Amino acid sequence: MAKPAVRKPKKKVCLFCHDKISYVDYKDTALLRKFISDRGKIRARRVTGNCTQHQRDVATAIKNAREMALLPYTSTAR
Amino acid sequence: MRRYEMMVILDPSLDERTVQPSLDQFLAVVRNDGGSVEKVDVWGRRRLSYDIEKKSEGIYAVVDLTAEPATVKELDRQLNLNEGILRTKVIRPELH
Repeated sequence: MAKPAVRKPKKKVCLFCHDKISYVDYKDTALLRKFISDRGKIRARRVTGNCTQHQRDVATAIKNAREMALLPYTSTAR
Repeated sequence: MRRYEMMVILDPSLDERTVQPSLDQFLAVVRNDGGSVEKVDVWGRRRLSYDIEKKSEGIYAVVDLTAEPATVKELDRQLNLNEGILRTKVIRPELH
């Protein structure tokens, strides 16, 4: 019997820890766009690979940016 | 005294050249109360991600300032009373 292929996902490192960015700026929409889906939803930590603290910072930054209409709350692409 | 960062979205029907002087008028409150304005950065016209007050564009401006908490509260109140201002946001960058 064929053994189910065991996939070993590559461990992702938190982008912010790696680049030593301590403050996630809500004005930097180009960066924050990496952490939202094309529907405008915030990507989960298991997708982004961020550490707990930075995922939290990113989420708050995105929410601040949404309030100032820099990022969409929802986008009905498709 | 605390450092603040304030983002303002202004009505797109305003002239971009008049933005700086009219913001300065509002910021007089800060200077009179002993605070200081470090930087006024007018981003200019920008598309909004969603409509605010039926408008799809806005003029963005970011102001860095140092002031007492009460002064900033008053500044925010005055800005929100003005018709030409769609939205404001005050943030303390060092908290994050």
